Amino acid sequence: MSRSLTIAAVTVALWAAACSGQSDPVAAAALTTDPRLIRGATTAPVTIIEFSDYQ
Amino acid sequence: MLGQVLAEFPGKVRLVFKDFPLDFHEGARPAAEAARCAAQSGRYWEYHDLLFLAQPEFSRENLIRYAARLGLDQPAFTACLDSGRFRKAVGADLAEGTALGVRGTPTFFVNGRRLVGAHPIETFREAVRDALEDAGRK
Repeated sequence: MSRSLTIAAVTVALWAAACSGQSDPVAAAALTTDPRLIRGATTAPVTIIEFSDYQ
Repeated sequence: MLGQVLAEFPGKVRLVFKDFPLDFHEGARPAAEAARCAAQSGRYWEYHDLLFLAQPEFSRENLIRYAARLGLDQPAFTACLDSGRFRKAVGADLAEGTALGVRGTPTFFVNGRRLVGAHPIETFREAVRDALEDAGRK
């Protein structure tokens, strides 16, 4: 039996720079991400976002 | 390496991986799509780590072979890969990165603070400590 695929996207806010008063444009951004591509506790106070390719 | 950072700060750090396949890295986009196919079987991170070890050998045959090495259902994986099911999702990551000013890989954001290029683990430890301090002040 095949299981239907449901990807519940989550939103990852890049909030810390905003909190610390930096003017980095990423501060206000929010990214939509497949939760399977996230490692670590959802309640973690620090989020590392890595943009990378495999080559 | 970032796996080690997560282990050193249990419960304090989460890692979000975003695909940013560069145009001149021919195999990067199919590799990114293949990793998402592996995610369908709950093996994303193992496949992801395998790809970094195997780079740049990303022919279709190799991508399928890596899936087999992890014991993934080969016909299902191959069908996923050939369907281009995750092409749009990978493209969406690329668009998000571009909008954030990402120009090369790897680029990291540690609670919004940008780190461009490869860095030693100590750089990430310091960035995490700083972010924890900032968070503690809120």
